[in-house]
Amino acid sequence: MIKIRNLELALNGKKILRDIDLEIPDGKWSCLVGPNGAGKTTLLKVLLGSAPYSGSVRSNDVEVFRNHKRNVAFVPQQPQIPQGISVSEYVMLGRSKKDGWGNESEKSRDFVASILEQTHLYGMQRQLVSHLSGGEMQRTLIARALAQEPELILLDEPTSALDLHHQIEVLNNLQFLQERGVTIISTMHDITLAAMYADRIIVMQEGRVLADGASSEIIHSPELRTAFDNRINVYTLDSGRPVVIARKDEKDEK
Amino acid sequence: MKREQPEVVRAIPPIWNWRITTICAALLLVVGLAAISFGPITIGFGQIVRTLLGISGGLKGQDRTVLLDLRLPRALLAALVGAALATSGAVYQSVFRNPLADPYLLGAASGAGLGATIAITNAHGNVYSLLPIFSFIGGTLAVLTSFFISGKFFAEPQSLLLSGIAVGSFATAIQTYLQQRHSSSLRPVYSWILGELTVANWQIVTWSSIYILISLGILISVSKQLDGLMLSDEESFSLGINPNRLRMIAVAAATLATATAVSASGLIGFVGIVVPHLVRGITHRVTNRNLLTIALAGAAFLVLADLGARTLLSPAELPIGVITAFVGAPFFLVVLRRRRTVSS
Repeated sequence: MIKIRNLELALNGKKILRDIDLEIPDGKWSCLVGPNGAGKTTLLKVLLGSAPYSGSVRSNDVEVFRNHKRNVAFVPQQPQIPQGISVSEYVMLGRSKKDGWGNESEKSRDFVASILEQTHLYGMQRQLVSHLSGGEMQRTLIARALAQEPELILLDEPTSALDLHHQIEVLNNLQFLQERGVTIISTMHDITLAAMYADRIIVMQEGRVLADGASSEIIHSPELRTAFDNRINVYTLDSGRPVVIARKDEKDEK
Repeated sequence: MKREQPEVVRAIPPIWNWRITTICAALLLVVGLAAISFGPITIGFGQIVRTLLGISGGLKGQDRTVLLDLRLPRALLAALVGAALATSGAVYQSVFRNPLADPYLLGAASGAGLGATIAITNAHGNVYSLLPIFSFIGGTLAVLTSFFISGKFFAEPQSLLLSGIAVGSFATAIQTYLQQRHSSSLRPVYSWILGELTVANWQIVTWSSIYILISLGILISVSKQLDGLMLSDEESFSLGINPNRLRMIAVAAATLATATAVSASGLIGFVGIVVPHLVRGITHRVTNRNLLTIALAGAAFLVLADLGARTLLSPAELPIGVITAFVGAPFFLVVLRRRRTVSS
């Protein structure tokens, strides 16, 4: 359980996060949604422990800031793409904390092999990461995070670079992890997909948390509309599945 | 359907690729022996070994002085400077995520040169023990200024390199101005800038070895973690690294090594690019796990270049910077061209 109390974060005098009180349960998939600039990525960095904040953010009763004892993986929206390193070497970097930097155990190699297979990267393990397509790079990033065997995995827009087919593939991979007890916190622009996969949705706007709860409830909540300035419509398909669509103008109202 | 077990992922060679490291060490030894053996007076290997080990039958008189007070310190200094430049080059390349970064492109060397020039033009008597301090201050100030001008510390390596070039040119301009103002010290400053090891003596070897070995020790001890800088800052943090602190440590140590090298031997270009790329090409690794190998190869490269500088036009002497530029500039272009083909 991660407990956030009175979280504030200011950068160059500008408040990025304010007044956040939140509880994020273990073993669930929580998804941060909200317009650009809502503070979603910053909140992820706070949860990682790399961004200084005021207030308290405690994971299992330990403050998260600069706490390197936790095993948290992070998948950035915009990756660093190094030159001259192959996919398998890149994924292997995820084992560095377990094996010690510069070391590499036999067990890690087996583990990385199974992850490469899981993420359909096995055939391209010798390719340079600088030569991958956007979708392949995204899968490589996630594979590197999985190599860490994290207890918590933070993902910043894991699907934004992907076509629909690969979006589903990546999300299924994450769901597979979650079913094995890993806590997942992600940001996602596609609220329909968020509602489909995440257990919980946290709605953010201008650094505040407007609402937080089970996906099925939040998706129909007025707070979600407020966060997007009432410019979204939520429909329910015959199957009972909600669909969120951006509204072009007043005509779309009904 | 029963699926085949995946074969184990190809292993990354361990940090110490002992075979290649040993070859480089052996190479350094051979080149070093050759360097102290050849010259206007050729000294036999047997005599060198006997003299160095203090066994009877060693050299006496003038030959002994040539070996112990001229050639040996000079070869040692070349090895130290070569190791310092190659290692700092490799480290700068990973920290700035730019394969063509070298100490001179960031202004560290020009700044160090300016610091040393200020010391030479304003001091009287023996300034050589103060040179590294002045060049270190100059080099550090130049790198800091480059950082400051580029605005974003490590976020945009490209703008950092550009501001490094600007700061470097500015420092060189002031340096030239100072030289013209103090024409009496023009000659020592000029010959020092061209890069030469003729001034090598035991005193210079002693102080530069202290600074250089300390910085190399620091760099080699953080070299494994430097691989983490291939990832984004959040990812490397999640793997237990503090990326900005690591960069600070690495850049500070590399700047100390560069500044010491510059103050001991002037500006010797291209070592920092040629050697890391050669070693990485041979080991097929971009990682920093072979930093020790890069240091040894850099040492061997510069000892060899100095041997060339001393003997090619003998009895006249070429500035060693001419030799390294002669090899390095075309090499630089090859790297640049290959990178372009790769990225297209």
